[in-house]
Amino acid sequence: MIEAIVAGLAALLTPQALLFMLIGVVYGLVIGILPGLGGVVAMALLLPFTYGFETAATLALLLGAHIATIWGDSVTSILFSVPGSAKGLALCFDGYPMTKQGQAKRALAASATGALLGGVIGAIFLALCIPLIRPVILALGPSEYLMMALWGLTVIATFSEGSLMKGLTASVLGVLVAFVGMDVVTATPRFTFGTEFLMEGISFPVAMIGLFAVSEMMKLAIKGTPIVDRSLVREESTVWQGVRDGFSHWWLVVRSSLLGLWIGVLPGVGASVAGLAAYAQAVQTSKTPERFGKGAVEGVIAPDATMGANEGGGLMPTLAFGIPGGESMAILLVAFIGLGVVPGPDMLTKNLDLVFSMVWIIVIGNIMVTLIGLGITPWLARLPSLQANLMVPIVLAVCFVGAYATRGHIEDVLVAAVFGVVGYLMDKYRYSRANFVIGMVLAVMIERNLHISLTLYGNDFLLERPIALAMLAFVVVTAALPFVRNWRRKKRALAAGAASS
Amino acid sequence: MKETRRKLMLAGAMAPVVMSMPGRALAQAGDYYKDKIIIINVAGGASGGHTRYARLLQPYLQKHTGAREVRIVNMPGGGGLKAANHIWRAKPNGMEIFFGNASTLILASLAGSPGATFDPTKFTFLGRATSEPRVLAVGGKSAIKSIQDVQKLKRPFVYPSQGTDEDFYTMAVLSDALGFKVKAVTGYEGNADTALAVIKGDGDGHITGWSESRGPILAGDKHPVLMVTSAPSPDYPNIPIVTEFAPQAKREMVRAMATVLETHRSYIGPPGMDAQAVAAFRAALNAAMKDPGLLEESKKGNRPVAPLDGALQQKQIAELTKASASLSPVLKAAVKAIQ
Repeated sequence: MIEAIVAGLAALLTPQALLFMLIGVVYGLVIGILPGLGGVVAMALLLPFTYGFETAATLALLLGAHIATIWGDSVTSILFSVPGSAKGLALCFDGYPMTKQGQAKRALAASATGALLGGVIGAIFLALCIPLIRPVILALGPSEYLMMALWGLTVIATFSEGSLMKGLTASVLGVLVAFVGMDVVTATPRFTFGTEFLMEGISFPVAMIGLFAVSEMMKLAIKGTPIVDRSLVREESTVWQGVRDGFSHWWLVVRSSLLGLWIGVLPGVGASVAGLAAYAQAVQTSKTPERFGKGAVEGVIAPDATMGANEGGGLMPTLAFGIPGGESMAILLVAFIGLGVVPGPDMLTKNLDLVFSMVWIIVIGNIMVTLIGLGITPWLARLPSLQANLMVPIVLAVCFVGAYATRGHIEDVLVAAVFGVVGYLMDKYRYSRANFVIGMVLAVMIERNLHISLTLYGNDFLLERPIALAMLAFVVVTAALPFVRNWRRKKRALAAGAASS
Repeated sequence: MKETRRKLMLAGAMAPVVMSMPGRALAQAGDYYKDKIIIINVAGGASGGHTRYARLLQPYLQKHTGAREVRIVNMPGGGGLKAANHIWRAKPNGMEIFFGNASTLILASLAGSPGATFDPTKFTFLGRATSEPRVLAVGGKSAIKSIQDVQKLKRPFVYPSQGTDEDFYTMAVLSDALGFKVKAVTGYEGNADTALAVIKGDGDGHITGWSESRGPILAGDKHPVLMVTSAPSPDYPNIPIVTEFAPQAKREMVRAMATVLETHRSYIGPPGMDAQAVAAFRAALNAAMKDPGLLEESKKGNRPVAPLDGALQQKQIAELTKASASLSPVLKAAVKAIQ
């Protein structure tokens, strides 16, 4: 194994491989920053240029680009509340409030450090867990995915400050929107009103662009002030502060990374769920959950660490079974075939040095992204102080182009605009947009996996799936924990009040 | 005499014009796309297999049509139905062409899918780029080892599926033709998800393209039991072929199904497409498929091509309508069963 680790690194230390990785990383950062374009598009566009080069260089180019899009996504979420793709959504919850509080540099640096540490921790655990990967993948199935989605739902309470009823209403609206289109189980059109466009459903990234970015720009246009008015809020944070945050919350980073690795290993659980699950985990385990949604740096670190680690996990089904876990892995599989590499169980025994090359690409790629990211952060952090009359048209144009680029449908531009109005009204009347999103992401996942569990294992599926049962117990405990803590705090406060009087 | 001479002179003068007419028609067809822009609407996303093939063929189509540009436009949605509905309504001047899985369109229409607003037989079939045989594979550790074992099962064959795609319809036809019951478990996210369900043993087996299952088959994670093709192939000599295995009474139906599946990645034009455009595109596609540059690139990138002439394809599709009478009720019943 040590030999494979060294050979994997040696293959990458050629001028061609290092140059390709740098090109991939810079290109991935640019693609990631553009809304509507993510890792899949980045890799798909590079694929035709990969034939005829060294295996390690080709993989460095493709994976380097893919890794870099993660932080690229986070940048626009933090600075403008524009999620570059579904993955970057969780960064809007606390990253954008941090920007508004004059802490953009800290948020961007914490995000880059979180992604770096997540990527490295994920890669290390991935290397250690290679013998366990196949049994883990085979042990988990639809019932366990269902429990993960239920866990994601528990975060609704966090965003329901003031009125639980309003929080639940927002979630239900999200669920209803998710059900537009062809039913995944019965192939029946739902809420499509006979239109061809709606049969495909409402695109999640497009709805996000509308709900968060377009609505924020509407607010700015009405107020006529920049996102951050430097005469009122000075940028007092530093890049170094963000880097320190990443390291000082090391336990949160480790937990989030392992969560990301695990979610990545499971095909069928998307990266958008990974970000939300990471956020849920950060909230549930925090001693001060009330700070979340208002600019808590942990809300930035956790999703980035999870998504950094998620990439390594996503490689596993592709390598262990030759089954691509997602669209980007399908592209990687094509590149493998072009390179004459046959993924499958042999890959983890006979081609181990190539597997370790990929692990090293994740590590080195993440380091490159973070160094570049930290270098450009001071310039990026100035963007939110642009005047509204300049900012609004630029961001709106980028949003609408992004909405179109997501699926290439002109109708999606209209959808983004409609969701912009919906988001504006929800914000005005204090209906949580985050809850809407959670409902939208998890609805189909719950529907799918509940249906499959019931069909395969019957009504008592929980008794047949002990891991799912244990996970349900975990969900109940973590959901109850904040309520128990609150109850205790109130009890203590009452007792203290009684004692002082 | 004078009159005769005049007629002869006139005939002599006209002869080159008359004799050059077929050549001129061909030349006109050959020049049809010269300096024009052809839009290829690919029925899938930028990362999908259709796009990769469309991009592989793009420069060769441009070379052989003489077009100024062959533009690839991704039109994903509804499993190709969005792009198909679009081309159904497109101007028949041949400037917009569909590229994608033709079998999905035919099957969706036969099954009465609400998304299919077209009659697939009325499309103009311009030729196939490639076709991949489809295989029914069971889990490597499953007690089922052959298609006979599937038929002998005392319970329904558990079939994990993404929904009503071509493999779902194929399974419905196999179940009817070979006489075994199927329990379709729909809702899986994609082929990775259904493949894992089969490997784990949650499902008995699933149908995929040969290349998709090849790796897991070689690794022993899956075991092939039936090829859904119309002819045997030297690549898999020991796996039964559905058209040879089905009982005589059902052979016409399974052959129709195999033919539909073999239409696979094809170029399709709108109904009533301009005859010159049809001739020019078919000729250019045939030439492109034989281009040594394409063949070399296809081999290097491991993207095999399997051309089929558009005129022949059109004939096959027309013949298919005769057999569709038996396919349609089976497909409709399968959709009804999951609803």
